[in-house]
Amino acid sequence: MPKVTINDRTVEVEAGTNVIEAGLKAGVLVPHYCYHPRLSVVGQCRMCLVEITENGRKMPKLQTACSSYVMKDGWSVRTDTPEVAEAQKGMMEFFLINHPLDCPICDQAGECGLQDYSFKHGVAYSRFQYEDKRTYPGRERIPLGANVVLNMNRCIQCTRCIRFTQEVAGTGELGFFNRGARVEIGTFPGKELSNPLATCVVDICPVGALTSTRFRFAERVWYLDKKPSICTGCEVGCNVTMEQRRGDIKRYKPRFNPEVNDYWMCDFGRATFERYKKVPRLASPRVKAEGGNGHAPVLNTGWSQALDAVHRALVSAQGDVAFLGSGFLTTEEAYLFAKLADLSSATRRSVPVDLGPEWTIPRHQRPPITGREAAPNRRGAELAGLTSALEGDNGTDDLLHGDSPVPAVLVVCDSDFGQAAWDAATVARLRRAKFLVVFGWADSPLALAADVALPVAHHGEKDGTFVNVEWRVQRFERAFAPIGQVRPAVEVLGDLLSRFEGGWSQVSAGSVFDRLAGELPAFAGLSWHRLPATGAALHVPGAQISDRAAETASEASA
Amino acid sequence: MAAFEPVLTKNVGKPEALTLQGYRQLGGYEGLTKALTMEPDAIIDEVKKSGLRGRGGAGFPAGMKWSFIPKGKDKPKYLVCNADESEPGTFKDRLLMENDPHQLIEGCAICCFAVSANTCYIYIRGEYVKSALVLEQAIKEAYENGILGDSVMGSGFKLNMYIHRGAGAYICGEETGMLESLEGKRGQPRVKPPFPAVVGAFGAPTVINNVETLCNVPHILTRGADWFKSIGTDERNTGPKLYAISGHVERPGTYEHPIGITFREMLDAAGGMWRGKQLKAFIPGGASAPILKPDQIDIKMDFDTVAKAGSMLGSAAVIVMDETTCMVRSVARLAKFFNHESCGQCTPCREGTNWMELVLKRLEHGEGTERDAQMLLSICKNIGGQSLCALGDAAIGPVKSLVDRFPEEIEQHVRERKCPFPQPRYFENGA
Repeated sequence: MPKVTINDRTVEVEAGTNVIEAGLKAGVLVPHYCYHPRLSVVGQCRMCLVEITENGRKMPKLQTACSSYVMKDGWSVRTDTPEVAEAQKGMMEFFLINHPLDCPICDQAGECGLQDYSFKHGVAYSRFQYEDKRTYPGRERIPLGANVVLNMNRCIQCTRCIRFTQEVAGTGELGFFNRGARVEIGTFPGKELSNPLATCVVDICPVGALTSTRFRFAERVWYLDKKPSICTGCEVGCNVTMEQRRGDIKRYKPRFNPEVNDYWMCDFGRATFERYKKVPRLASPRVKAEGGNGHAPVLNTGWSQALDAVHRALVSAQGDVAFLGSGFLTTEEAYLFAKLADLSSATRRSVPVDLGPEWTIPRHQRPPITGREAAPNRRGAELAGLTSALEGDNGTDDLLHGDSPVPAVLVVCDSDFGQAAWDAATVARLRRAKFLVVFGWADSPLALAADVALPVAHHGEKDGTFVNVEWRVQRFERAFAPIGQVRPAVEVLGDLLSRFEGGWSQVSAGSVFDRLAGELPAFAGLSWHRLPATGAALHVPGAQISDRAAETASEASA
Repeated sequence: MAAFEPVLTKNVGKPEALTLQGYRQLGGYEGLTKALTMEPDAIIDEVKKSGLRGRGGAGFPAGMKWSFIPKGKDKPKYLVCNADESEPGTFKDRLLMENDPHQLIEGCAICCFAVSANTCYIYIRGEYVKSALVLEQAIKEAYENGILGDSVMGSGFKLNMYIHRGAGAYICGEETGMLESLEGKRGQPRVKPPFPAVVGAFGAPTVINNVETLCNVPHILTRGADWFKSIGTDERNTGPKLYAISGHVERPGTYEHPIGITFREMLDAAGGMWRGKQLKAFIPGGASAPILKPDQIDIKMDFDTVAKAGSMLGSAAVIVMDETTCMVRSVARLAKFFNHESCGQCTPCREGTNWMELVLKRLEHGEGTERDAQMLLSICKNIGGQSLCALGDAAIGPVKSLVDRFPEEIEQHVRERKCPFPQPRYFENGA
């Protein structure tokens, strides 16, 4: 592999790597706007000009780093010479002379390429004093589609968005119109930017020209707290950054993971957090009075009374217990529920398949990834032990549909386990159990009907792992503290398990993950702290995997 | 010099040259006949030996360009003839196409044979309606008589020739912009490398030559490289050259001279200055060439001498200006042209040409400041060498020479707060 020296730092890169990527490897950021690792190289923003010396011979002109490929040894690149600085300064001036400089009302302010580079490479005064700025009257807020708004005045014509629709989304709705300084971005006549990945153009827009209708004027970005998370929209498990302020999630942005979602995510996934705002929360443990018949007064109690009630019920049921799992549980929670099922000698447990719309994310140099299920972690929950494939276990799926006999105690692991949780008929069917325990974040009809409803954190409020459609286990982090008396399910289950046997106090998602990694062959060798940021592929023998989603789909269509 | 016998324009004014038969009677297609008996490499060597340099503007040696085409047979190869003649002041290719279309077809055919390209496109600017019609007729005739088609003159070499008409963008005369346009995309230059010789039209190796360059090729083959080299100033500047002279001269038009004729001789051939006025400035090579002053009147008009004088021969479109010309206004007009024609993809050209036009217009209207000259130079510096294609460099040529060579005129505009020159009206519409 050829070696290249960038600002006196030498790195070895693969032949054909461009200087921007080589620079990143060496720890040197070459400023750029139009270059994006997944889009074709057009070299048109001219911000990445660098000085290249080949075997001691300086190239006569500055070269664009994005279109200069390291093929052999002997290149020395400098990004810090006066000549380069002068060029960057000149380019920043060109970008800004016709830019409206409306940062105070621009959503991009704070994460804007123009702000960053003009601070670093630009000058603080303007020589463009006597002329009028070029504007695009009437094109300040053009809805390109349902989710994206264009402000042409702010555009720096890097064409990333055009290339994205052509090369990644493959839909090509956007084009470059007009010429010279009057050039503009727009949709072709009769088309609108409505592909499932449309909002990605907002992410790759280096300035505030493209804004998301969902995030427009929602928050100044410097107030946002960011944590790595996983999208719960489907089983793809797109890596996202959860951006919130004081427990109010403002947006999801895709987080780069070449193994899963690359740089992209779909518009559907971006909207999934809105559920946490629309659906009423379950804020404190709730127990119905003893001996009630469904109309008894409801008591908001403390955690220990509620857990005592659950413990008593599970013990007295003598095995006539069913656990209705959910694909929204983290792997750790599912593992603890499975332990609880073992200790209460439950005979029935399973995770229902919840088919959702199909979402496909294109990936670089590998086939696209497609999710069919609406829940992110059905596979992880089953691997952790919530499966009817165990010996002598009948599963709980038929509780949702058929007239199968109801158990004495039914534990619903998630009040919002899928579409069925909101279906009145299903709720009535599940309510036939003598004692209904519901864990969950949502105050759904099911939670209202429960004998004991336990408020647990939703996925922004807890740590955990999800296993995606390709059996990749990925970790996400708690972004903010739960409200009210809500506690992460892992802690609640730890307390509950402690009532059966010792060794379960003070558990956390991390400790549970390490415990299950030691126990379950699929997770062998993994540990919470050493789980890579891009996740880890699980060792699941192919033969054991029955594609339940496909089976369910074919049943539904039959 | 006076005894120079025209080569490229020898058939101009002879209507019989428009037909295939007439062209043959005038000695046409001898070069192609000879070429088909030669090895392709021998043709390239002959052209290399002749020292023929590209007549489109850059002056790149044509033979060397041809030799860059890879030899393999895995990809088709193309010849694209650049007939998108849109540099302001240039009207030489038009003369060749309208009066001697078969000369161009012959040149294209020889080039195609030399680089084994089976397809040739002639990208012709949309405004050249007559040229396109004449060429189309000539190509039709050439097909009917077996000069083009499955077997060129019975040699078994297959060659198809197409005319592609542009839609009127200057940038489509830039070679990669032309390729994009030819492929049906938005006409804007590509990032280089890869160069068209490796990845050109439709991703295949492509030779791109100007009309005049290709028209020279048949003569090189019939009369030999040594004859060609005997014309011109030195080893690097050889052959006959068309000069399109316009502006304040008595007889503007296209003249054929041996390359390296002095500007004074050329001016005399065009009848001298218009109404005997004084020469104030001249542009030696089209709108993008820096302006020269009268002290350069004895300059030899060849590639290297003009470059040494701080300008460029370019397409050899000579624009002559007399003493009544306002240089600021002239350059502002040129800046307007480049602003209008910038494709808009790269930053320095898109924003810089626009800014330069605004500043120059302001200067011309008497609203300039003392700092504007320096600012123009600094804008030029930020565009120069940093744009994606050569349009940026072209746009700064006249502006830079204005500041460098006519600073007193800018000062006068600023000082007097108005343009000191008359505003002549040449046309009814006030242009």
